[in-house]
Amino acid sequence: MTGDARQDRLTPDQFRAVVSAVLRTGVVTAAALTTVGFAMSLLVGWEGSLLDAPTATSAPTDFSQLLSGLLALRPVAFAQAGLVVLLATPVLRVATSVVGFWLEGDRLYVAITLAVLAILLGSIFLVH
Amino acid sequence: MTLGTDAAIFAISIAAGLIGALAGVGGGILIVPALTLLFGIDIRLAIGASIVSVIATSSGAAAAYVRDRMTDMRVGMFLELATTTGAVAGALLAAIVAPAFLYVLLGLVLLGSAVMQVLRLGEEMPPEVEPSGLAARLRLASSYPDARLGREVPYAARRVPLGFVLMWGAGLVSGLLGIGSGALKVVAMDGAMRLPMKVSSATSNFMIGVTAAASAGIYLGRGDVDPTLVAPVALGVLAGAMLGARLLPRMANRHVRWVFLPVLVVIGIQTLLRGFGVGS
Repeated sequence: MTGDARQDRLTPDQFRAVVSAVLRTGVVTAAALTTVGFAMSLLVGWEGSLLDAPTATSAPTDFSQLLSGLLALRPVAFAQAGLVVLLATPVLRVATSVVGFWLEGDRLYVAITLAVLAILLGSIFLVH
Repeated sequence: MTLGTDAAIFAISIAAGLIGALAGVGGGILIVPALTLLFGIDIRLAIGASIVSVIATSSGAAAAYVRDRMTDMRVGMFLELATTTGAVAGALLAAIVAPAFLYVLLGLVLLGSAVMQVLRLGEEMPPEVEPSGLAARLRLASSYPDARLGREVPYAARRVPLGFVLMWGAGLVSGLLGIGSGALKVVAMDGAMRLPMKVSSATSNFMIGVTAAASAGIYLGRGDVDPTLVAPVALGVLAGAMLGARLLPRMANRHVRWVFLPVLVVIGIQTLLRGFGVGS
């Protein structure tokens, strides 16, 4: 594998830096959204709205109202968005690794990581 | 929920994230009993919160572990092949296999591994070996910078097929029982593949987020994840995990084992009791 080093467009250290940055960005974004939601909930309650929209009727565990909730500045929707970002972070990390191993010139691990990504996406979306 | 309750849950979650980051587990052992026993929260929502805490521990700690070369990404990705296929098999079998029997079996495996851990308590580093066979072909050999020893430590995985099978079992258990099985992952890497303890713990941390993410969608769809409850949990666990990830590189491998062993014993007993219908 080291023989085709001239093809490498990404050093292992750069690869690690990118994966680390993806994880940190996901975590910080999730924490920021959750914190904003929590702070807003202290003002109007979780189900309320900073735009004085009527109190949410759906349960906080119902994620189908996420977008409209964000537009109505509902605290619960911000906490939900934080959660969705948090849950998506490991998936993004695997997807980043596919590209990383590709740029590193390690085809075996591109295949392994693609297989993991396919199983992961399958189990998330097909189970419903 | 009152602000006081939120603050208490936040504080407990910091501890869960810290222990989870050091031991390579998700922190569910602390989150689930704390939420159900101390705050009387429904077990269904407590388990939903613990799935989120696993992902928070994993991503929060792994950002540092990956950068600091504590996580072996090839070992992690290769073994994720085992855990994800195992988890799918487990989810498919869940309707057929009796969970009680599985809990008892898993509890015994974990407590058996705890005995093996006791035998290795004083060990700082597994014996050095040259990568051979599968480990060489799959590049499951590398090195990590040990801040404590002040040098680069080379390592190579041994008994790769055994490690892969154990990891498949860990995935199977996650799929069947809906638990993170981080403890089993550390046991497979440390005990079977004989990777250094810190690498085992950091790589397990890296992996548990993927295992949990695979099943998180199901919990979300079922309405088991309450964001108003999970907000303080996620924030606390993230803070704890980031703190833990700063500590681990500076700790001795044998001290990491001292953190892992009690965690392993508690998880083993919890699992065994669940098999006999005690607790959640």
